[in-house]
Amino acid sequence: MNLALEQREDPGKWASAALAVFVHALLITLLVYGIRWQTRAPEAVEVELYRAAPAPAPAQPVAEQPPAPQPAPQPQPKIEPKPEPKPAPQPAKPDIALKSKEKPRPQPKAEPGPEPDKATRKLIDDAMKREQQALAARKADQDLAQMKAAQAASARSKAAADYIGKIRGKIKGNIVLPPDIQGNPEAIFDVVQLPSGEILSVKLKKSSGHAAYDAAVERAILKSSPLPKPGQGDLFSRGLELKFRPLEE
Amino acid sequence: MNVATDLSILSLVVNASILVKGVMLLLAIVSFMSWYWIFRKGFAIRDARAKTEQFERDFWSGGDLNALFQSAVNDRHSAGALERIFEAGYREFTKLRGQRDPAAIIDGARRAMRATYQREMDTLEAHLAFLASVGSVSPYVGLFGTVWGIMNAFRGLANVGQATLAHVAPGIAEALVATAIGLFAAIPAVVAYNRFAHDIDRVSIRFESFMEEFSNILQRQLK
Repeated sequence: MNLALEQREDPGKWASAALAVFVHALLITLLVYGIRWQTRAPEAVEVELYRAAPAPAPAQPVAEQPPAPQPAPQPQPKIEPKPEPKPAPQPAKPDIALKSKEKPRPQPKAEPGPEPDKATRKLIDDAMKREQQALAARKADQDLAQMKAAQAASARSKAAADYIGKIRGKIKGNIVLPPDIQGNPEAIFDVVQLPSGEILSVKLKKSSGHAAYDAAVERAILKSSPLPKPGQGDLFSRGLELKFRPLEE
Repeated sequence: MNVATDLSILSLVVNASILVKGVMLLLAIVSFMSWYWIFRKGFAIRDARAKTEQFERDFWSGGDLNALFQSAVNDRHSAGALERIFEAGYREFTKLRGQRDPAAIIDGARRAMRATYQREMDTLEAHLAFLASVGSVSPYVGLFGTVWGIMNAFRGLANVGQATLAHVAPGIAEALVATAIGLFAAIPAVVAYNRFAHDIDRVSIRFESFMEEFSNILQRQLK
């Protein structure tokens, strides 16, 4: 009887194994695809505002003025509008001034023709307008380029500051401050590093006046080799000037 | 569309320290085992309940006890627990029938039934203890992995001069995966344990009351 009991059938041995596998597969799919694991940095985090550079300011009013008086002088003799536009481009840019000099030339040519006034006036006005537009466009381009350059420069300086900060942070972590420092003297070190970040030499440029502190910082710098690498490769500089104060930050 | 941090579950697991990986592996195995037993016990208990009901219906429909006994003996491998209890009791009863003392006959039958009942309960309850310990221990194991991982994350933080949240976050995230796996193993195990324990209790009460009733029937047969 007991033997018979041992031989009982076992329901669902394989089915439960398969179901257990299924449950875990379900969980894993849920984890991998169900949740967005990747966080994306919000785009355009930095906004830097620039006021328009002062240089283009005088040119712009001149560019705006001519269109207004132009309708009026049309019936008038053509001599009047000419002097107006000429001084306008001249202060702004030499190459534009050259162009505007070219324009007066067609005028004399047109004069001998029949009905010179209106046709030439139109021509001149159109040319003027075009030129002013081109001028404005160029100004805008210049502004944009300037802004971009300024942005790039600020980003670069930020990255450079970050890099120096990283280096200083690492070294600071290694400084063992001697106990008896008075005041907050500054020690300046010249460090020469290899591109791999390993330190070639450390030179005391300006002593803090406290020999133990100088020695502690020097030890810390040597201990920090290899130094952290910059985020952008071109920020690397072989020679670094690092300043340390015992009581900062 | 630049990805700031790639915290996919795979990279979290792969980047974890060796001990945390070990904890995760252990928990994954435990979780698999516990789910396996959850399903297996679930099937077994459902099967036991269905067979008990079937046999009770057959028994109380007023059939001949001898015929019932014969069918129980014939398909012993597919018989349910209650059928086996009945078979053991009736077998003992027929063996002892020649004796003069009716109380001894009934006692013998009851003892045989009780023995079979104990054995059946034992098989039904097997591996429930495993589910119980998975339910109570695996959160701690996961927590251990997490604490270890966070310890490492903070130790790594000490080497960085300027600490930001970005330095710690991946370490903590990967450490928390261990807790997540532990909880995933523990919660179903606890729920299943409670439910199975309850179901087995109910089945055992049915068995016991059947044994009492069947003893009465046997006693009546002796007169």
